[in-house]
Amino acid sequence: MNSLFRKFQVPLIRQVFALNQALTPCRATPSIQNPVWATASVNERQHRDMPTHKIGSWRFLFRKRVHRKKKDRYKMRPVCPASTTAYGTLNVMVSGHDMTVVERYTEYIHNLCNRLSIRVSLCYALPTKTTEIMLMQEQGTKMYVDSILKTHERVVQLRKLDTTLCPVFMEVILKNQPEGVQLSVKEHTEAHYKARFKARPELEELMAKINQ
Amino acid sequence: MAAPFRRMASRPLLQFLSCFSRTATGNTGFRQFSSTSLCRATLPTDRVTERASSPWTLMAAVCLQRLPVISADDSPIEQQFRQLMQQMELEKSLLSDHEIRLLEDAERLSRKQSNSYDSDEEEDSRNQDIVLTQDLEDSWEQKLKSFEPAQRVRADVDKDLTSVERCLADSLVLLAEQQVGSEKLWLLPHIQWQEGETLRQTAERALASLPAAGFKATFLSNAPCGVYKYKLPKAARTESSVGTKVFFFKAILSDSGPPAAPDSSFVWLKKSELQQYLKPAYMTKVGRFILDL
Repeated sequence: MNSLFRKFQVPLIRQVFALNQALTPCRATPSIQNPVWATASVNERQHRDMPTHKIGSWRFLFRKRVHRKKKDRYKMRPVCPASTTAYGTLNVMVSGHDMTVVERYTEYIHNLCNRLSIRVSLCYALPTKTTEIMLMQEQGTKMYVDSILKTHERVVQLRKLDTTLCPVFMEVILKNQPEGVQLSVKEHTEAHYKARFKARPELEELMAKINQ
Repeated sequence: MAAPFRRMASRPLLQFLSCFSRTATGNTGFRQFSSTSLCRATLPTDRVTERASSPWTLMAAVCLQRLPVISADDSPIEQQFRQLMQQMELEKSLLSDHEIRLLEDAERLSRKQSNSYDSDEEEDSRNQDIVLTQDLEDSWEQKLKSFEPAQRVRADVDKDLTSVERCLADSLVLLAEQQVGSEKLWLLPHIQWQEGETLRQTAERALASLPAAGFKATFLSNAPCGVYKYKLPKAARTESSVGTKVFFFKAILSDSGPPAAPDSSFVWLKKSELQQYLKPAYMTKVGRFILDL
């Protein structure tokens, strides 16, 4: 049964695990007996005279972190496609009128994802929408402003969600949903990404002029 | 046993778009819930060439849950803490616009009523005298008094086990009384798996086949959340049937439909009440995946 699963499963390659697995057999054999460090691999300690050289090193165990340049900050991260065993990039959108409740709930979802080892790629807020509720006056036909409601929205973007983990995750966040908060889980598309940007009227005017 | 697993694995993912909301208006029994599936494209299920005829009969059961509608009541410590936090926040907070206006109006009134009042000295003579902030506050108080919120806990509905609206602060599970072998038992509604369908479709069929039930539910995933094996007693065992395996699927109730007749064979129970209705072996397996949050 395991072999059947392996065929369909998306291989989750983590360099740390690969390195760890490769490292343990190497650590077992003392490399003091092979002083040929010219042909030594990354996993073997390279030393000249001092056998204890670099014995405490651990930085090589981390995978190579590629720092995103500042100008790449607003570029779109590639949308992860869905496979047969995992959902792709998902947007969990939390919206409500009470900002403290909405923010605390987003924090809860984020912490839950960290606990369940679900990769969270982004956590951002959409601009607040203000709704004015106007009521008709009792005597007369004029409308007057009764109250102002603000709708806050927060989005937690998950990179991958396993189908086996999905019902557990969904059930926990649904059961802990506070009152007055709406939850929606959607797939991330480029349209969602584009909607966050402001419209540039001058650019659009110029483009229209060019296209005419 | 190999057959249904492979079928499940080859079925592509249902990408779903679901929207959950907690609103006080509308149906009080359960949440407003809307869900649409983006693309229900199903690949043609490839015929399994090597079919090991297994001696187990396969069934799929659905664990239908109604989520809590209102928040649970606070425990005494939580109440005390809440009061403490409210008091602290009140003491640390600044005055809001409305409260500043109240103070200004009170001050202006006291200035007007004093003898040395000159209306020309009034700095900003807007039409503040027309609608005083105190009057606004009084009208708001009136509106609040005329609003009657619904009762949070209704004792008579709580006792009715077949009603969906009982125990609004807890999550409920649906149990149905079904014929198993020769006796009627209380179990999660299940039905036998048929050739050519996935286990999730079987579970959906199990839900639809409940008598007098217009339940609409959203299944959370294609993968089952639990399994229960039952071996038939030695006398009844044959070569082709050793026992049954029941796979459980989780679903969230979205619409309960018309209220059921009182003699219908299903009940809504909290996790603590499940023990009285289910057999112990069944209960241990089922209790593992029913969350009591």
